[in-house]
Amino acid sequence: MKRLAAVVALLGLATATAACSGGPTNKSGGSGSGGGLFTTIDVTRPGLDASGPANPWAPKGNSFLGYNGMKLGWVKNHMTDPNQFYPGIAASWEIAPDNSSITLHLQPNGKWSDGKPVTAEDVKLSLGIAYTTGSTAFAITPGAAGAAADIQVVDDKTVKITQDMSNPSAKFARGVMDSWVVPAHVWSSVLPADFWDKLKTSRGTGADADKAREEILAIGQKVLAFAPPKDVSAGPFVLERVNPGEALLLKNKNFYNAANVVPDQVKFLNYSGNEQIWNYLSAGKLDHSGFTAMPTDVMNRIKQAPGSNVIKGFSPVAVGMAFNQSKKPYDNVHVRRGLAYLVDREQVTKVASPEGGTPAVTTSGIHQKPAQEWIGSELAALEPYKHDVAKAEAEFKEAGLQKKDGKWTLADGKPWKVTMTAPNGFSDWISAQENIKSQLVENGVDAEVVTVADYPVYLEEIAAGKYDVGFWLMALGPAPYDIYQRLYGTSNGWTNVAGKVAHSAPGKAGNWMGSAEEIDVEGVGKVNPGELTAKLNAVSAEEAKPIMAQLAKTANQDLPAIQLWDYVNTQFTNTTRFSGWPEQDADVLRLPAGVWMQLGLVKKKQ
Amino acid sequence: MVVIARRLAGHLARGVVMILVVATISFFIVRSIPGDPVAAHTQKLIEQGMAPEAAAQATRVLYGFQPKGSLWEQYGDYLHGLLTFDLGQSVTHAGAPVTDVLAEAAKWTVLPVLAGTLLSFLVGIILGVYAAIKRTGKLGDALAISGSLLHGVPQYVLGLLLSAIFATLIPILPADGPVDILFEPGFNAGYIASLFDHAVLPVATYALAAYGGWILAMKSSVVTVLGDDFILAAELRGMKRSIIFRYIARNAILPLFTILALSLGLLLGGAVFIERIFNYPGLGLLLIESITMRDYALMGGAFLIITVSIIVANIVADLFYSVIDPRVRSGEEVSA
Repeated sequence: MKRLAAVVALLGLATATAACSGGPTNKSGGSGSGGGLFTTIDVTRPGLDASGPANPWAPKGNSFLGYNGMKLGWVKNHMTDPNQFYPGIAASWEIAPDNSSITLHLQPNGKWSDGKPVTAEDVKLSLGIAYTTGSTAFAITPGAAGAAADIQVVDDKTVKITQDMSNPSAKFARGVMDSWVVPAHVWSSVLPADFWDKLKTSRGTGADADKAREEILAIGQKVLAFAPPKDVSAGPFVLERVNPGEALLLKNKNFYNAANVVPDQVKFLNYSGNEQIWNYLSAGKLDHSGFTAMPTDVMNRIKQAPGSNVIKGFSPVAVGMAFNQSKKPYDNVHVRRGLAYLVDREQVTKVASPEGGTPAVTTSGIHQKPAQEWIGSELAALEPYKHDVAKAEAEFKEAGLQKKDGKWTLADGKPWKVTMTAPNGFSDWISAQENIKSQLVENGVDAEVVTVADYPVYLEEIAAGKYDVGFWLMALGPAPYDIYQRLYGTSNGWTNVAGKVAHSAPGKAGNWMGSAEEIDVEGVGKVNPGELTAKLNAVSAEEAKPIMAQLAKTANQDLPAIQLWDYVNTQFTNTTRFSGWPEQDADVLRLPAGVWMQLGLVKKKQ
Repeated sequence: MVVIARRLAGHLARGVVMILVVATISFFIVRSIPGDPVAAHTQKLIEQGMAPEAAAQATRVLYGFQPKGSLWEQYGDYLHGLLTFDLGQSVTHAGAPVTDVLAEAAKWTVLPVLAGTLLSFLVGIILGVYAAIKRTGKLGDALAISGSLLHGVPQYVLGLLLSAIFATLIPILPADGPVDILFEPGFNAGYIASLFDHAVLPVATYALAAYGGWILAMKSSVVTVLGDDFILAAELRGMKRSIIFRYIARNAILPLFTILALSLGLLLGGAVFIERIFNYPGLGLLLIESITMRDYALMGGAFLIITVSIIVANIVADLFYSVIDPRVRSGEEVSA
C-alpha cells in the first residue's frame, strides 16, 4: 500500500506541477518590456536543431531569414521584374542598364548586434563565402549564367559587383541581392588568406583551375560546419537560445530600424508534422505562420480560432499534370488534349487546394497573374481547354483511341489505364489525382493513383521515366527563364551549360517528358522550345515578351503538362496580440514576417 | 557466481556477433533505400529559385560529408569506425559527428519513455494483483476492462486524443516540445516545472498505452500463482493476508521483470509516434528525419543504437533473471 501511495503522490505532484507552472499558451504577447512575444513557425524548415549554429549556410542552422539572418536585399518576386527589392543590408542600389554591374550602398546606420558597424568588408567576405557554398550569382562552375566576375569595395559603405558578361543573366542583380551577409569579425577565419587568388585560378581551365575549384568546395564544407561562438546579427533580432522544441530571439537594439520593430521577443516553434501546425493555429497560439496544405475541416477550425486571420497573395508557382511522352498513348498530342478537356480543373482545385490554389484558366506555362503582363492579348487567344466531354472524345478519336462498351481503349484495342503517381505526404497532389481518377473513370477512361514512399523516390523514379503521368511544379517565377525551364529544361531533354544548349533523347540524361526537340506551332512555325527558353536567361524584359508568347503558344498547343492550378500565397496571422499586418495581395507576403517587421509592419494590438 | 560469469561471457560474445551482423545488415539496407538524395536536394534548391549550376554546387558541398569510395570501401571504413565509436558525419547536421547528434536526441527519448514505462509498470502490477484477487468483484471487472481497453488502443491514437483534448480543446498542457524556451535553462524552478509540464502528456500517453499490458499480464500471472500449492499451504497454516499477498506478488512478478527489461531495451526506438505527436525531439523523430533526408550515416547510427539497446536489454534480462530466480541461477530445477 505504501508503494501505491507513493505512485499516487507522484502522479499528484506531476499534475500539480503542470497546473502551477502554466504553459507557453499563457505567455504569448504578455512578456517583455511592452512589445510582447511574437510566436511563429518556419513552415519551410521542420526540425529545429538545438545544437545547430547561427549559421545561415548550415542546413540545420539557427539563422532565421529576416529575423537574425540578413540578406543584402529582399527580393520582391515581382510578377515580371526579378530585379525589384526591399532594402536589407543594402539601403539602395544601382543596376547598370545592361545588367553588367550592381553598386550597393549599405545602410548608413547598419550595425551588428555587438555594436560594430556593418561595412563593405563584411559584404565582400560574405560574397566570398557564397562562392564556396554555391549561389546563383557566385558560382564557380565555369561559364555559369549570371556569375559575378569581380567584387570591388568602393568605400566603407559601397560595394560594386560586376557580372561576367560571357554568359550574362537578367537575374544577376537578383542573385547578388539574394545573398546572406555575416560579420567579417566573426567569420573571417573560414576563408583562407589566399582565397581570392584561388577564386581567380578557379575561373580558368586546366588542372590548376580544377584543383582550385575542389579546394573552394572543401572550404564550403567548413563554412557549412562553422559555428560562431554566439549569434552576431544585423537583423531586427538576435538568437538568444534554442532548445529542440523552440528557439528564442530577442530584439536587436542596434538594428538600423529598431525603432519600428515592435516585438521584444520572437519564439519559433518546432514542428515535425503538419498536424502540429494545424493544432497551433486552431489554438490561436501562433501570431504568424506560412501556408501548409490542410483538409477543409481543419481550415474551418483554424478560421474559428479567436483572432484568426488569413491573408492571401500571389505565389509564383503552379502545378501541372505532366506526361511521359515516351509511353503510349501520351506520345500523341490528341490524347493529351483530350485529357485536358476531360479534367475539370475547377473541381480538382476545389477538392485538392481550395485555399491554396486557383484553377488554371489555361495551360500557358505561366501563372495566370503574370501571364497577362508577359503575353498580354495573346493569352486570350490560347485554347482554354474548358471542361468539355464532347471535345475530349473528339480528340481521343483523332488519336485513334476506341470506345468499347463505354470504355476507352488504345488504338490496337488493348486496355488503357491512366496511371498517375504522387509522392506520399503531398496531400493536395494525392487528393487531386484521386479526383481526376474519379472524373476519368466516370467518362470511360480507366485510371489509378499510385503513391510512392517520398519525394526523393518520386524524383528518382520520374527522372528514370518510370511513370506515365506525374505532377510537376511549373511556372516557377518570376524570372522568365525559371518559368519555362520547368517545362523546357532538363526534365524535357534540354540542358543549358555555360550558355550552350544541348538536347538529350527521351529517356536519357533525365529527359522523362520526352517532347519533340522541334515543335510546329500554329501561327509561329517550327520552334525549339529549349533554345527559346535558354534565350530568356540573357534578354531584357521587353525582349523576353515575344519569346514568352511563343513558348506559351507552344505549351498550350503541345501540352507537355496540363496546368491544373496556380498556387495562392496563403499566410495565417492572428490579430489577438498584434495588428498592422500586410494588406491582402501585398508583395511583402512573399517575404518572411521578419522582413515585415523590418519594414515597420506588425504593431502591438492596442 | 561462476555460472553467472560464464553466462555473462557467453551473452557478451553472442551480443558482439549480433551487433556486427545487425550493423552489416543495416549498413547495406540503409544504402539500398530507393530515392536519390543528391537529385532531391538539387531539385529542392532549383524549386526555391536557385540556378541549376549553383544548386548542383551547393549539393556537392553538402553531400561532400557523405563517405566516398566503393560500397565495400565504405563498409570497411564503417566497421573500422564502429570499433572506435565513430559512426561518421551527418549530412543534415553539416558534418556533425553522428554520435553527438544521437546523444543529443537520446536524452529526449530516454527520459519520457523511461518515466512512462516505470509508471505504467508500477501502476499496472499493483492494480494487476488487485484485479486478480478481486476478479469476481466489480473492482476486478473494472480493472480488467480498463486494461483490455487501453491495451487495445494504439499508442498514436491515445497520443492524438490526449493532444487534442489537453493541448487544443482545453489547452492546459503543452504539446509543443520538451521545455518552454522562455525559461533560462538550469537548475531553477521555472525551467524544471516547464520540463515536467511538457513531459506530462508524452509520459501519460506512454504510461496509459503500456498500462493495459502490465495489468493483464500481472493479473494472469497472479491467477496462476494463486492456484499453486504453496499458497494453499500458507493459507492452511493461517498466515496473515498481507504476508500471503507478498508471496503472491513476488512469485507472480518474476516473468514481468523479463518483459520490463525488454521494454527498457525498446526505450530508444519505441516512441516514434509519441515523439511526433508531442514534438519531442528524440531518436524516433531523428530516425524519421534521417530517412527523409537520406542521411545514411545518421540512419545507420540510429538503427545501430536501437539494436544495441535491445541486445543489451536481452542480456540484462537474462542475467537479472539468474539473480532473482534461484532455479535459473543454479541451472537446474530447485526441488520444492
